[in-house]
This record gives sequence, structure tokens and C-alpha cells, in this order.
Amino acid sequence: MSPLVSVVLSILGSVGLMLLVASVAIVGPGRLYDIAGELRPRLWNARRELVVLAAVLVASAVGRGALQTVSELFGLRLTGLIWALEGNFVGWLQASFASPALTVYFSWVYVYGYVFLLTFPFVAYLALPETSTLRRLLVAYALNYAIGLVLYTVVFAHGPRNLDVGTSLLFTHNPDVMALTSKVNERTNVFPSLHTSLSVTVGTFAVLTRRTYPVWTPIAVWLAASVVVATMYLGIHWLIDVIGGIVLALGCVALAYRIVDADRPDTGAAGDDAIE
Amino acid sequence: MTRHVSRRETLAAVGLAAASAGCLGRARNIVGRDRPSQLTLEINAIPADADPNGIRIARHLAEHLGAVGVDARINTLELTALQRKVFVNHDFDVYVGQFGETKPFDPDALYALTHSRFVAEAGWQNPFGFTDLDVDELLTRQREATDGREEVVADLQRRLCDLQPFSVVAFPDAVTAVRDDRFEGWSSRYPLSLGGLLGLSAVAPDESPESDTGGDNATDSDDDALGEDLRRNETTDESATGVDIDLPDGTDDGDTDDGDTLTLVTTDGRITENWNPIAVEYRRHGTFSSMLYDKLAVADGETTIPWLAADWVWVDDETIEVELRDATWHDGEPVTAADVAFTYEFLRDTSLGETETAVPSPTFRGRSTVVEGTSVVDDATVRLAVGDANRAVGERALRVPILPEAIWRERTDVATIAGMELDTETTEAVVTNNRDPVGSGPLRFVEATAEESVVFERNPDHFLVRGAIDVGETDDGSTAPDAQSGSTDDLVDDLLDGIPKRYHGKPAFDRLVVRVAPSDVSAVQAIADGLADATVSNLGPDAVPRIGRSPDARLVSGRSASFSHVGYNTRRAPLSNPRFRGVLASLLDKALLAEEAFDGYATPATSPLAASPEWVPPDLEWRGDEDPVHPFIGEDGSFDADAAQTALRDAGYRFDEEGRLLAEDP
Repeated sequence: MSPLVSVVLSILGSVGLMLLVASVAIVGPGRLYDIAGELRPRLWNARRELVVLAAVLVASAVGRGALQTVSELFGLRLTGLIWALEGNFVGWLQASFASPALTVYFSWVYVYGYVFLLTFPFVAYLALPETSTLRRLLVAYALNYAIGLVLYTVVFAHGPRNLDVGTSLLFTHNPDVMALTSKVNERTNVFPSLHTSLSVTVGTFAVLTRRTYPVWTPIAVWLAASVVVATMYLGIHWLIDVIGGIVLALGCVALAYRIVDADRPDTGAAGDDAIE
Repeated sequence: MTRHVSRRETLAAVGLAAASAGCLGRARNIVGRDRPSQLTLEINAIPADADPNGIRIARHLAEHLGAVGVDARINTLELTALQRKVFVNHDFDVYVGQFGETKPFDPDALYALTHSRFVAEAGWQNPFGFTDLDVDELLTRQREATDGREEVVADLQRRLCDLQPFSVVAFPDAVTAVRDDRFEGWSSRYPLSLGGLLGLSAVAPDESPESDTGGDNATDSDDDALGEDLRRNETTDESATGVDIDLPDGTDDGDTDDGDTLTLVTTDGRITENWNPIAVEYRRHGTFSSMLYDKLAVADGETTIPWLAADWVWVDDETIEVELRDATWHDGEPVTAADVAFTYEFLRDTSLGETETAVPSPTFRGRSTVVEGTSVVDDATVRLAVGDANRAVGERALRVPILPEAIWRERTDVATIAGMELDTETTEAVVTNNRDPVGSGPLRFVEATAEESVVFERNPDHFLVRGAIDVGETDDGSTAPDAQSGSTDDLVDDLLDGIPKRYHGKPAFDRLVVRVAPSDVSAVQAIADGLADATVSNLGPDAVPRIGRSPDARLVSGRSASFSHVGYNTRRAPLSNPRFRGVLASLLDKALLAEEAFDGYATPATSPLAASPEWVPPDLEWRGDEDPVHPFIGEDGSFDADAAQTALRDAGYRFDEEGRLLAEDP
């Protein structure tokens, strides 16, 4: 079995299991049971957002190669500037804290924890009677990807491991994962960190919906923070990429709340006021 | 005194001065002078995924430059982009790279690299824009000298080391991970050269049930096993074809159990996109090109052996007469003397006189300048006029890939994009990806998926195969080496004369698959997992220990002549100043870099010819831990920035009060 296939199967298997457990424990059997009957109208309700997200993902998958070429020819070459600004922060982070146990943990978080973090809110918000949270999440995801793609094209930069600032702990620890990341990402797409921005997006949503899913909030915030640290700990992203990712995430959540209105004032879309 | 003043302050001062009549002239004298700013240097290097060693040299240099007050910026870019920037556009300050030749080379390689006649040309020829009359003179003299060439070459190296158009850092070992279960005979010196790959032999499938009867007496020696190899290859040829039909996508999955497929992994995906032997941005060492395109002669160990040429004789001091082997192009057309004559004319000017100024090939430039003219004697004989070149230089000129005239003559037009001529300095031939390459070499192109893999197959019409089949047929299955040489001398003479026996009947694989791996670590992992037989690209310190940890993988390493160096664009101030370059050279702690950046798999050096020690004079030999010409400023790995600044001050450079090195022009 090729490394790619085995990595993908392993992700599907374990994330599927995590989703199952989390759905029962966090969403609860009652709400899950409701989904069965309400699935069709809720998805129909969120059709525009789903189409937009799908369109962005397809455009990203199809156009990435061509945009990469544009980036290589005309993009701003910022690796040197980023390194000049932040220096060996990532190397220092690794030198100060790296341990085999942490490497295992952050490698797991970066691949498995991240996929779970991004997929679970979809289930959780689909289980809510009102679809505005779900639609806002979808719009926020789409915005993250779309803006990320534009920035990837404008900025041509390599990550710290490619400048030998720190080592590539993820790929040295688990080279098979690289078969997957090289398929879904270009190595010059470092600014901003989409791992960071999508995780922070989910974390922000979890905080905003803390009244609905109080158990999920600390889990999501912990996982999101872990992914953010993992991107740097593993030598994949610069601190500046991460800061860019956080700014992008907060901007996208704010925009999503502005674009998608709440369904009805009476439903439990807690914390709507937090952003607006 | 030299405090930096903001623009606003300046304007205010000018205003005041203007207000006080009489001072206007003095203000003009001050403001009119250009104020110096900090020197910025951009260091171009490829990312660690593609080359783990080069980026470490770049960082080492950047850190030391920063310490002496230069604003050094590392610019990472993919190898194709780097080579385009440096070799084609000459739009760079400093780059970190490796020389193209992997085997020890004749000093004449320096001719293309440093002669000032090439300053305006694109390609491996003088990318530094280096001009020095003495060097030009020495380069010409070493070409012509027969007696006393050593002295001329020694003087040439001394002059180049003095002037430092580029700084040699170290000669890295070519470190390769291989596994021996499918193919054996990995040469320890150049496992991935033409000779290294052709020298492989398939491991007899002892364990497999269909193991043929000859399997048990097959020995390790390639020569003895020749008959076996051939029959095995003949029979498996057909079975392999059968397998191909069953599994047309055999390149996409991990199934490489077929013993007759040699699978290599590389981090350099360019061979999956471009097969143009003269496209300088896409070639590194030209290994796969040399398997697609035969050269008249190839280097084999210390000697040059006839290859596409059956033989050559020096008719007089200025003419080589080349006799071709009976060979065909991959499309079935015969290789003729006209193709050879065309190739040399074409390499000198790929437009064949159609453009106002010649558009020479960006590669093989040193060699193509040796051959001043050609004349076709008959279909299989061609004469090359080499002027005053001595024997070594003349025979080096035989090592260029011979191209089919019928195909490349169509590519002499100025390159266009959608019908527009963007740049009259280049021809279609230089920029084409050369899809479906037609060469005459031992491998033929089959298919490729960009940035994933490329598949080649053994060329059954190649003289190595045909010549050996002739032997096999008359040999009647008997494998005794003396019987072979006794009864088949005539046939061998016809097709394989002058070719060492270990190449007879080769390659030992039916297919060669080159896969692209995302990094050196995953390349080694692919070897450990049995998904591939050998790694092609450079391996870094993170990858090398993995080889030892996996039981089936083995490390093969040998000294490469492909020296790592820092190249300077001498067209740009202050890099135009040899004194400045001399100080830059002494910012490099070569001994430390060899130890740390290359993890010990490199030897620090001063001279670009250090891989051929017979050419290096004693005063340029690396002794102990110190560079004999531009020793590192500092001790035991710690850099002495103050001493380096003093050296720069002595060379006439100035610093502001914050210790920043000031550029001459803002």
C-alpha cells in the first residue's frame, strides 16, 4: 500500500471514530436523533453556503497549480524578510521544548486533531434547529480558503524548516504524512497558516456558541491552541504565518457574522452579540 | 557626523538654508551628494526540502554578513527558478549552488565557467559576469598547451582563487540510499551516473518459483553472468510486456515487485516535465539526459571510452576523425554523420544563423567552442576541426549529446508565446520541454506525470543490447568467459569495441521509473519500505541516519566533483571588487560547514579542481582546517566580526556609527 493511501485510510478511520464519540458525548443522542428527520431541510436551508464553500474548495484544488506558477514568477518573495523579522524563533521553540512525547502529541494534533477539529462543528451545528451558525461556519471556512489562496499567490515564501530554522519534526517523525501534505499543499504556501486560521475560526465559533455546547468550547479551544503551536513546533510555519492566520480567522468570523443574519431572535444562537 | 537624517529634516534644513541668503550654494553641495545607505545582499538558495545542504551554507553566510553590518536576505526558490534567475537572467547578487559535473573533470571545464567571452550568454557559461584578462589568457593557454599544461592550470587556479568569482565551499559526497534485493552492483563512486546505472545487474530471483536453471551458477561478477543475464532479460522482456498490459497504471501505485523495473526516487521533479538536454534550468547533472541521448564518448573512471563513436583518430594536430557505430534513433531512423555535424553547429548557434546574433546552447558551451567546424566524410564518418586544442581538450569535446537533425532543425526559430516574440535572444530549441524525446541512448521515454513520476524503458535497438545479443546467440548458452572472447571477437568488434564488458547487454532493467518524493526523508523512507531501489537527490543530516535504521537499505557514498559554491554576480558593486569578494570568501568557515552543514559528508576545498588532485598545486591544497588563500576570519567556529570589519575597512569600505556597511551607491 502506498504511503498516501495508508495515511488517508488511517485519518478516515480514526477521525470517524472521534466524530462518533464526540457526537454522542457532546451533541447528545436527542439532537442527533433530530438530525435524521431534519437533515434535508437544514441542508437545503444552507444550500447557498454549501455551494460557495464547495466552489472555493474546487477552485482551490483545480487552480492551485496554476496560481503556484503565477506566485513563483510574480509573487513577493518574502522568506528572507520573514526570517529577518522574526529570526530563529521557531528554532528556539524547538530547541527549548522539543521532546519525543511532545513531538508525538503535536504530530497527532497537526494531522488527526486538525481534521477532527474542522469536521466536528459541521455535525454539531447541523444538529441545531436554526441553521445560521452552520451557515456562518461554512461562510467563514470559504472566506478562509479564498483569502488564503489569494495570499498564497501574492506571497511566495518557504517555511522555517526549508530555511533550516529548526527541523521538520513532523516529517522526520512520520515521513508518510508528507505524502499527504505534498498532495494537498505547496511548500511555498506558508503565509498565512491556514491550519492556524481554520483552527482559530473553529475555536472562535466554539466560544461564541458556548451556551449551546459548553463541553465543546474548552475542547475546541485546547485543540485549536495545540494546532497553532504545532504549526511552529513542527517547523512548518513561521510565527508571522501564525499571526497572519489568527488575524485572518478573526476577520473571517466577523465577516461571516456580517454576511449571514441570525435566523430568529428567539433561538439559542448564543453570543451573537459578541462580534457584532 | 554621518548621522542619518530623515527626508523631512533635510527639507527643513534646506528651507532654512534657502531662507538665509548666501548659504544656498553650500546647501546644494551637501544635499546634491548621494547619501550612502546600508548594503543589501540577496542570497539565493533552494529550500531544504530540495537540497538540505545548500540552505545551511546560505544561512551561515547570511549570519556572518549580518554580523559585519550587511543587510543579507535569503531568497529561497525552486531550483528551476534559481537557475533561471542566475544562469539566464543574471539577476542576482549571490547564490549557493553546486557545479554540474559529478565526476572529476578536465581543467578545461573552467573555460566555460570563467572566460569573459561568455559574459553576455545565458547558461552555465560564466554566470558571474567575471572578466579578467589574465584568466582569459591562461584559459586559452591551457587549451593549447601540451607540455607544461600543469603549470598553466596551476597558475589559472591561483588566479581564480585570488579573484574569487565564486567561492568553492566543499566537495560533497554523493550520499545515496540503495537496496540490493532487486539490483546489485551499486558502484560506490558514482552510483547514479550513466555508468553506475548501466553497471547494475539484476539479482537472480532465487526465492521465486520461476527461477531459471541458470540462476544458481550466476555469480557476482557481471562479466561471468553475461550469458545468464541476457537469457533472463530476453525471457523476462516478454513477461514484462505482459505485465504492462495487465497493469497499465503500474507507475501510480506502490507495486514495484517486478524485478525488472528499477525505481529511483528524487526530490527534484524536473525530469518529469522536461527532457531537453540543453535546457539549463531543468538539468542538474544530466544523468537521465545521458541515458536518452548518447554522446560520442563518455567518461569512464579515469579514461574516456568510445560510445556512439566506435573510434576516433587524430588525422592531424587540428582534426579528429570520428567513426560512428551502427545506431538508430528511437524513432527508427539511422544515426548519421550528418546528425553529428548538425549537433556541433547547433550547439554553437541554436538558431543556425537565423537570428542577428548567435543563440548558443546554454549547456555544453565549453565543449562546443572547441569544435570550430565539421565535415561529413561519409554516412558513418565525420571530421571535427578543433584548432589548437590539445588532445585532452579535443577529446572532451566529444562528450556532447548527439541530437537528431530531423527534429531539432525544426526548433531553430525564435521562441514565441502565443505567436508573440518576447525575447529574440532565445530559440524554441532552448525553451522546449522536448516532449517524447527522440535520442539514440540506452533508454527510451515512455510516459510521465508532471511532478509525480516518469517512466523510461530499455532501448532494445541500442548497440549495448544488440551487440551483446550477437554474442549470446553464437555463445550457445555457455557462459565461460574465455569461450565468449574466443569465438565472438569479430562480432564484439563490430558493435561493442572499446566498451567495457560490464556494460555489455545493459541496462539490466526493462523499465526505469523515477518518482518524485516530497523530501529527502521521505525518499529514504521509500527505500526502506521497498517502494524504490535508490535515491537520486542529495540527502541531508535528517535523512542519512534513517538509512542505518532500516535493515534493507544501505548507504553508498562517494566523493562528487560537483562542488558546492557561493557564486557572486561580479557585474554588481561591491561584488565587482575582488577585494570585497575575498573578504566574503573568508566569512565562510568551510571546515565547519563540511562538518555541520554536510554532516561530515563533504571535504572543504579551495580550488574548483580539488576532485582531481593531480592538477592542484601544493600551495592551493587544503591543509588542516584552514583555507590557504582566504582563511576564515575567526577561530574554532566562532566568527570574529570585528576583524572582518577591519578587513573591509582596509579594502576601502565604510561603516556608519551603528556598524552598518555602507553601499557605494544608494
